[in-house]
Amino acid sequence: MGVLRAEPARMGAASRAVGSAWKAFDWQLTVYALMLMTFGLVMAYSNSVHDGVSPLSWGTTFTRGLMWAAIAIVAFTLATAFDYKWLKTFAWPLYGVNIGLLLLSLAIGDGVGNSSRWITFPVIGLQFQFSEIAKILMIIVLARYLSAGEAKLDSLSTILGACLLTAPIVVLVMLQPDLGTSLVLVAILAGMLFMSGASLRWLAVLAAAAVACVPLAWNFILHDYQKARLISFLDPTSDPQGSGYHLLQSQIAVASGSFLGKGLTNGTQAQLDFLPVQSTDFVFAILAEELGFLGALVVFALFAALLWRILSSAWRARDPFGTMVGAGMAAMILFQLTVNVGMVIGIMPITGIPLPFITHGGASLISLAVGLGILQSINIRQARAEW
Amino acid sequence: MNDALLPNDAARSRRPMRFLAFGVAVVLVVGALTTRLVFLQIQQAPAYEALAEANRTTTVAIPSTRGVIYDRAGRQLVQNVPTWSVKIRPADLPYSQRDAIVARLAELLELTPAEVNLRIESNPGSRFDLVRIKNDVPESIARIIAEERLKLPGVEVIVESRRDYMYGSLLSQVIGFTGAVDPGQLADLQAKGYLPDDLLGKAGVESQYETQLRGVYGEQQVERDATGRTIRVLQTASEPKPGDSLVLSIDLKEQRYAQKALEWGLKAAGVRRGVFAVMNPQTGEILALVSLPTYDDNLFAKGISDKDFQRLMQDKDTPFLNHAIAEQYPPGSTYKLVTGSGALADGKLTRTSTVLSKPYVQIGPDKYWDWNHAGWGPLNIIEGLGHSSDTFFYQVSQMLGIERLAYWARQFGFGAKSGIDLPGEVPGLVPTNQWKQDTFGQGIFPGETLQAGIGQGYDVATPLQVLNAYAALANGGRLYQPQVVREIVAADGTVVRGFQKKLIRKLNVKSVHLETMRLAARRVTTIRHTYNVVDMPIVVSGKTGTAEFGVRDKEGRLPYHNWYVGYVSRSGDVTKPDSQLAFVAFVYGANTVGNAATEIAKYYLQLHFGIEKDYRIPSLLVRGNFYGD
Repeated sequence: MGVLRAEPARMGAASRAVGSAWKAFDWQLTVYALMLMTFGLVMAYSNSVHDGVSPLSWGTTFTRGLMWAAIAIVAFTLATAFDYKWLKTFAWPLYGVNIGLLLLSLAIGDGVGNSSRWITFPVIGLQFQFSEIAKILMIIVLARYLSAGEAKLDSLSTILGACLLTAPIVVLVMLQPDLGTSLVLVAILAGMLFMSGASLRWLAVLAAAAVACVPLAWNFILHDYQKARLISFLDPTSDPQGSGYHLLQSQIAVASGSFLGKGLTNGTQAQLDFLPVQSTDFVFAILAEELGFLGALVVFALFAALLWRILSSAWRARDPFGTMVGAGMAAMILFQLTVNVGMVIGIMPITGIPLPFITHGGASLISLAVGLGILQSINIRQARAEW
Repeated sequence: MNDALLPNDAARSRRPMRFLAFGVAVVLVVGALTTRLVFLQIQQAPAYEALAEANRTTTVAIPSTRGVIYDRAGRQLVQNVPTWSVKIRPADLPYSQRDAIVARLAELLELTPAEVNLRIESNPGSRFDLVRIKNDVPESIARIIAEERLKLPGVEVIVESRRDYMYGSLLSQVIGFTGAVDPGQLADLQAKGYLPDDLLGKAGVESQYETQLRGVYGEQQVERDATGRTIRVLQTASEPKPGDSLVLSIDLKEQRYAQKALEWGLKAAGVRRGVFAVMNPQTGEILALVSLPTYDDNLFAKGISDKDFQRLMQDKDTPFLNHAIAEQYPPGSTYKLVTGSGALADGKLTRTSTVLSKPYVQIGPDKYWDWNHAGWGPLNIIEGLGHSSDTFFYQVSQMLGIERLAYWARQFGFGAKSGIDLPGEVPGLVPTNQWKQDTFGQGIFPGETLQAGIGQGYDVATPLQVLNAYAALANGGRLYQPQVVREIVAADGTVVRGFQKKLIRKLNVKSVHLETMRLAARRVTTIRHTYNVVDMPIVVSGKTGTAEFGVRDKEGRLPYHNWYVGYVSRSGDVTKPDSQLAFVAFVYGANTVGNAATEIAKYYLQLHFGIEKDYRIPSLLVRGNFYGD
């Protein structure tokens, strides 16, 4: 398994094939992603307006968002240019790096309350959440593992192997504690196993086992605030000023947006601080309040289109590794979309899961950019082989 | 799709059904989210818009400026000073942070968290109404709380105006104080525009003239943020109308003299409870009204501590009561004015007819003694009152009978509230056969009629009633309603209500008979029943009283109050009803060898008239050795 071996890179041929390669580059995928990112920037602008300083001055959510967007575009370009096959070669060292980064986060990270989710870079003062990068690294590692072990996919051992690979990462993320991201990791695992063709029977058995573990998790793993969030999701009126407050206020924000919205920067729920942490996990509530049903529908359409393009890339990939990377990306984005928006509109419990592209956060955006870049890298290199 | 174009080995890794399933999942998810959005944003939008609007806007009252209070010479007695209050809007207090917020607030306000919680819980209004946590917070603390606003959601620092009672305990019994709305009253008061955290007059003229002093609150719609901070005013529905100010009939200078005299006398006599009141008999205006012991009304303005409140509440000399109007005592010999006037008016006596005073009057086996246990022989009404002969008045009472006695008592204002513009007045009691029948199931005994004629037995009256009866004597027979507020003046200076005398009744006594009683009241002085009052360079008429009350000691003796009520002749001709100064002094349970009330009155008169010579006789204030100790 973990043996380094040189792939037939055929670097010399690359420059000759650039023209045809760009034909295989999925422009639609890139445009949808850029449009979603633009929505995120627009919301960042809106949320920066009421801070009392110009949204354009340094340090506001908006200018930080612009900077992260620029970095994300660079990261996307680099990932596209980079021959993804090296990732297969370096998958196992990357797994080690992943664990190392998460241990580092636990050791020196900081965050709200007693958590240690972010690492603050000393010079530029920016915070970075490595658990976001962990998701992409996990996708690469699982893709490498599942594409290599394809023949035995019906067997339980392959499935268990994938679970065992994922488990240390999930545990490290949960220790931060970051329940949301660990759930995303589990969703990526499930999505990739499903798309790899793993035995549905065994997957069902595993799912049943996981459900059976819920009472255990309730008693031994979940923190009190996490339990409170789940309880208030089931009965938001049980504590309208406490945990239920977010749920209620975010639904008020969404619903009062009505069809056309109140207009950018005009959302009273956000601008008057009724909706806490509106600039992060609840940003969709503000989007729905200010841009209305129409704006939310456009965002949904963009997500659907993007997922379609990702799945197409996965389908087109000749290399099973490519298919698996696409499956992982799609699973990740779909899961985060479902849970984040579901939370905002009151059909999912509150978990700290960001909405891809739109929630303001550098790590999330860059890991998405890198993931999509890898997918493009697969696209153009598959295409060259095909035609 | 492109399936056909792809080589077989690649197809092996792809599961079309799984791709299809995934695609379906995407469609289902987006469909479900869209459906929910349709429900929220299209179907439920109006309801939630209202919620967002309710979040955003709120109606707040604009308090009006409370009217201030002046004395009759225009000296300001009460002013409004800015003060910081800390309040909490329970609805904005996040449940999860409540303990931390309460703890921090308690630390800053020097309260215990339990006290803060108690105040939040005892909030009379809804969760959305502000609850007063502490008044009169120092500016430095107020600033800290304001700066920590984000850490203290739901907590508000509000600049309010607080009452500053510039003379504190000197006038507390007249002015009173303002206090928080009682939960029980809230429903009634809210209909009148009061807020749950409002202040309203609780005692004195602050309470009596609440409506005038308060003015009318304005109303405005404001936009607020999640912490309750007002962002901007959307519209002002109505402007506040400032309250009217009061001009008291009280003269600050007279009040000071009265307090000084009473404090001195009570201290010298070793007691704490007493009254000194001064009135203009021609108008019913109260010029001074002192009731001791009392309290400092600034304690309430600043938010009284539990300790202070309990100390005052448990004081057996009831500092919260205005003893001049809210408590009733046997009037003793001062009541002989009623008996004498009634007998003259009913023709039972003339100015010259005599009654034989004796050591005692016997009814059945009971002997009713004169106070000197000897009598003075035959006395006319003037000498009878001059000596304050009990046996004289026992016999006059018998001539009148209990019903006529009660009639004349009522004429002089006994047994009914005087109607003074202060809260808490009690009516006193004038016994009749009917009353005794209703209360005890039997009629008045003959001996009780004797006692009723000298202000003992069932007779009880407030010091103000006693004063008002003598004021009617002094002014020639007009019983006026006593008043402490002369004028009500609007904020712009216009007089809303000027002073008007309020006549209760013209006494049904011929003026010649009242003239006889004025001669008798002067005789009390000239006969030296009041020691050296006659030597003073003013013409004082009046009557003392030594009223027994309570429980007999081992030797069968009763404790007693001291009274002295009188007036000063303006012209010096005591037959003329021209007095402009009537007074009453009352010392509760004095038990002094001489009449403590007389000494207090002398001291007041010296101060009032600027008499250099001191007529006080401190030896009379020695505690008599015949009760208690």
